[in-house]
Order: sequence, then C-alpha cells, then structure tokens
Amino acid sequence: MPKVMNWQIGREMDYPYEGKRPDTQFAMIIDTNKCISCQTCTVACKTTWTSSRGQEYMFWNNVETKPYGFYPLGWDVNILSRHGVQDISGPVYQGKTLFESAPDGSMVLGYLPEDVDYAHPNISEDDSVGQLAQGAFLQMPHMQWMYYLPRICNHCTYPACLAACPRQSIYKRPEDGIVLIDQSRCRGYRECVRGCPYKKPFFNSITRTSEKCVGCYPAVEQGRQTQCTMTCIGKIRLQGFISPPGQERPENPIDYLVRIAKVAKPLYPQFGLEPNVYYIPPIHVPSPFLKQMFGADVEQAQQAYRKAADDKQLLAALLLFGATPSILHGFREQDGQAIGVDKKGGELVRVPFKEPIFVRPGFDEQFQTHRSNAT
Amino acid sequence: MKRMCSTGFLAATLSVLVAGVAQAGAQDAAPGSLQALRVSGTGPITEVAGATWSQAKAVKVALQPQVVATPTNPNAAIKEVTVRSVHNGEWLALLLEWPDYTKSDAVVVDGFSDQVAVEFPVVYKADAPPSPMMGNAGGRVNVLQWRAAMQRDLDQGREAKIQDFYPNAPDADLYYTNILPAEAGQPYMGAKGLGNAVSVHGHTPVLDMMAEGFGSLTTRAKQEANGKGVYRDGAWHVTITVPMQPTADNAPKLEAGHSTIVAFAVWDGGSQEVGSRKAWSDWVGLTVGK
Ligand code: SF4
Ligand code: SF4
Repeated sequence: MPKVMNWQIGREMDYPYEGKRPDTQFAMIIDTNKCISCQTCTVACKTTWTSSRGQEYMFWNNVETKPYGFYPLGWDVNILSRHGVQDISGPVYQGKTLFESAPDGSMVLGYLPEDVDYAHPNISEDDSVGQLAQGAFLQMPHMQWMYYLPRICNHCTYPACLAACPRQSIYKRPEDGIVLIDQSRCRGYRECVRGCPYKKPFFNSITRTSEKCVGCYPAVEQGRQTQCTMTCIGKIRLQGFISPPGQERPENPIDYLVRIAKVAKPLYPQFGLEPNVYYIPPIHVPSPFLKQMFGADVEQAQQAYRKAADDKQLLAALLLFGATPSILHGFREQDGQAIGVDKKGGELVRVPFKEPIFVRPGFDEQFQTHRSNAT
Repeated sequence: MKRMCSTGFLAATLSVLVAGVAQAGAQDAAPGSLQALRVSGTGPITEVAGATWSQAKAVKVALQPQVVATPTNPNAAIKEVTVRSVHNGEWLALLLEWPDYTKSDAVVVDGFSDQVAVEFPVVYKADAPPSPMMGNAGGRVNVLQWRAAMQRDLDQGREAKIQDFYPNAPDADLYYTNILPAEAGQPYMGAKGLGNAVSVHGHTPVLDMMAEGFGSLTTRAKQEANGKGVYRDGAWHVTITVPMQPTADNAPKLEAGHSTIVAFAVWDGGSQEVGSRKAWSDWVGLTVGK
C-alpha cells in the first residue's frame, strides 16, 4: 500500500491510493465557543440540498451537543471503541490510523450504523455531563459542561469514503479538494457509509444510492462561501482554502488560524483522514475530553484563543468570520480594523475591532415618541 | 490516483480459474453443465413455474464466498443455486432457485436486497474465456442482475415511497414534485434525475450491464433483459431472460445448437450482502438446444 504524508499526525501512513494533494483544498474553521445550536445552518443546508423524497432524515450539516449528542446515534463512540485505545500523547502519532487498523478484506476499519441511529438527529440537545452541586459556582474549566459541535463532511485529504468504494464512484476534485459521490456510478453498496468514521455519506432509500455534502461546490466555484457558513447567526464559521503543508501563506486566514496561530484543530485526527474542517476548541471544557477529539495539543489552542483580545492579527482573523459571503484569500489588520481581500488583493470587507457606539436621546422629536434602548 | 491491488495474487487466482473454465466450456455435455431446452412460444420467458419449466434439467451450481476483491465476504450465506434453462428461439431464460428464510426487499441504511446475477461472456472463445469474476480487460462480460427491491416496486405497480419503509412517516411539507414540472425537478432528484438504473422505476427487475473487471460494472445503454422473482415456501424463484439476438452492443449472441458458458452470483440481503460481498460460481457450460 502506498505511503502518504499526513501532517495532522506528523507522519506517513498507509492509504490505498498514492498521495496527490489537490491544487487547492476546501477548508472550514468552526468556532465552537460561539455556536448557539440554533440550527440555522442545518436548515439552510437542508432547504438547499436535501429536500427531496428519501432525504427526509438526512442532514449533511448537523449540530450536536457534546458529549451526549450524536447524529447518527453514537457515531464517534462507536468507531472509537472499535478503534481501541491508541497513543495520542505526542506530536507524532504513535497509534494506528483507521486504514492501518483495517480488518482483512477491507480498506478501512468502519461500521454500518443501524437505520434507527438516524431517527434522533438532535438527541441529548443541551444535556450537560452532570448537575452542579448545591452552592457550586462555575470555574474554568467548567466542572459540568457541554458544547455544540456543528458538523459537515470534512472533505478529507485522505477520504475513507473514497478508499472504501469498490467502484471508484467517489472522487476528490483536483481544483478544490471537494469530495463527491458520482450519482450516475453509485450502486448503493454503502461501503462509504460503513467506511467514513464521521458518518457523513448517507443512504437514500428512494434513489438507492449514497449521497453526501457537496461542499456547496456551485457556490465555491463562484467564490462564495457555503450556505452553512453564510447563514450562520453566530458568525462562527469561515470557509476558504488551506494550503499544502509547508506552503502556508500567513495572509490566508485559514492557513494563519490553523498552521500559524494554531488555534483551530481537526476532528479526531488519529483516524488518519486529514479532515479539513478545523475547530476552535471550547475553552470551558476540560482538556482530557478535548484531547481525544481534537488532538494532543488542544490546550495550546485554548490558550491562544483566550489571548485573542491582545493579539491583533488573531483578532482580525476571527472578526472576519461571517463578515462576507465571498471566500477570503487574504486578510490584514490595519488601524484597528480587520480587512479581508480577494485573490487579487482587492478589498472585500472591513470590520472594526470596536463597534462604534451611537447615542440618541430617549425622546424622538421628529416622531414625537419615546424610544427604549435596544442592543 | 492509481489504485493499489495485489496484482500477482490476482493473476495467479485468475489463471487457476481460467484453466478450470476452459475445460467446462469445451465439454458441452459434461455433467453439471446446463442445457437450454427448446420450448414453444415467443417473447420474453418470465414465468417462474408451469409447463415451460417441467422438462428442463435442474443443475445444482456450487457457490463460493468472494474473497479476491476488497471488500471480501468470507462467510457468504448462500452455498448453492439450482438452475434450469429454456429458450423459444427468440429469448433464452434461466430459472434460478435457492432457499432463503428471510425475504429481503426493503432497502434502507442497514437493509439490503436479495439479488441474483447471471453472467455471460460477450464473445465466447473456448480457449480464452474471460475471468468469471466480472470479466477482465479485453474479456468483457454481460451481467444481468435481478433485485428483490426492484421486483417489489413492480409488484406494487409504483416506485417506493418513504412510508413503505416507515409506515408512520409524514411527508415533508413540500417536495420539489409539488411545485416543479418533472423536467425542472430533475436536478433535485439526485441519481434518479441522472437516470441511474438502480434508482429509476422501470419495466424490469433485471439490470442489464457489462463489465471488464472488478469495479467496472456499467449499465448497458440498452436495457434488454427482463425477468421475475417470486418468493414462495422459504425460497426465491427467479427468472432472468434475454433476447438471443441482442439489438445493441455488449450482450452475447445465443444461437440454437451452440455452446457458451455462464456464471452466477447470489446475495443474501438479510446477511447484508451487496456488491462484492457475495457468493459466486465458476463458469458452467451452457448448450442452447436445437
Ligand atoms: S468526512 Fe467522510 S464523507 Fe467526508 S470526505 Fe471524509 S471520509 Fe468522505
Ligand atoms: S447557524 Fe451557526 S450558531 Fe447556529 S447552529 Fe449553525 S453553526 Fe451554530
């Protein structure tokens, strides 16, 4: 089996195909600290992509409450328990990836969820890990906690769905790294559903094929960010492109946040797929749980994020989340403002670090009415 | 990107299989080979019982687990299929029967369809038959696959709907079909909109396909095969019928008095068998009666 370089685990690993990175790679950063689980993203995705027969319970974008929420039910604890205990302590991953753990006669270690696992897309919403004792007050990290985890397909550099499909019906686009299932070649074997540890390909029992998040490719082709990013009420997402390892551009906000400020981390990097959705970990959650989910150096990301107010560059990148529908190729900080630019350096958006404050009198002379304050 | 496979192992396996095949093909009347008996009538032969089949010789064909291509199926559920063959000068038919105590024809995430397939070489050369495992480059095969799920649609006289699988499921508030004319709705129909044969509710429960090796299975431009499956007394009884003179490429000419070879595969939906997770047979000789 060919060896490919996975920068997220700091080493080479086995993958059934030769490693060939796309020219540019679709990527997204999600700030879990700001998500309010309003599900606007879920609905935006649903109305755009999955409103047909057979897609009733299909959510390419979902938001689940961790640690007890899952869609499909128990997806991560299921694959984690099959994967077994792995050494995730160091910068170079010592454990096995899911490809290296593949049983004989399979490309990847996986499992097929049961039909009912998809029946409760928002199970355990807002459930905390426990109750606070009488008289307790919250400390950092919180003693009792929960957080929201918005999820889409990770458009992995080494997709397990693609590796598992015996018909090669799944392909990764060289122009943007978006992973798609060819709906004219798919024969509904569900090997991708079984193989993807994130459970992001879904089976449609009316078309009898598998379907998955398309990374809003018609929008991305036009230089627009995805529906889930643009509609996000909390402005918690930024979608763009990540550069190949070693070719980071500090002015690209995705490269900056992931590789330079190191404030955003991949989801379960130990699986070995090099997923391209990166999460700013919740700062109130104890790190042992987060280490398993986002990798060994998650505390560093938490600390960097907590200092964002003092780091103009970092603050500028964070303020550009949800600021424009266009994909940002560059950004800079200038005179207390975050400026986002397109491929040619043209300005797309400008966000002030401090919102201006407007004060107006309580009585409106023009309309002869009293106004109450609204924030 | 280049797919990795253990080419050496494959080549070795294929050469063993092909050696066995050449023998089967050469000995037309060998024990265990099929005779397509001439019967009266015209048109496709789809009935699974009755006078048509009463004289046809039954041959028990051994099936083995598919363990060459990934993913493998070392514990294949079905071990044997009973096969008969007849023809009426226009159409040739095979009757395939195997016991199956769970009828599986509802396809949901973890629900798979019972299926059976018949495979012919597109061009039969006794000294160089294609691999019985989906053919090989230059050794094209015609694969005819009957699916219980498609039979269910035909028996119901309509395509499946979500309430077939979840009786209490409400319809969504609005589907594209409520507002858009058929053609405008096409982009919203996924595989259906693209005319993928596994999605489209057609006139036959048999998919007519061709292949040149693992993973290459492709729907033929013209769907000529037909058939019918009946589940009765804990067993499937399935006919697959093809025109003896196909009107499009990538299907064999089957002529009275001539011999060819044929292979079979069976999937047990209840054991989550699908795709390469199947039981398959080696080539079996088939003589088309005069
Ligand atoms: S998240 Fe799953 S479906 Fe998406 S590219 Fe990765 S393996 Fe494939
Ligand atoms: S729209 Fe934004 S804030 Fe709302 S649930 Fe989705 S990711 Fe979270």
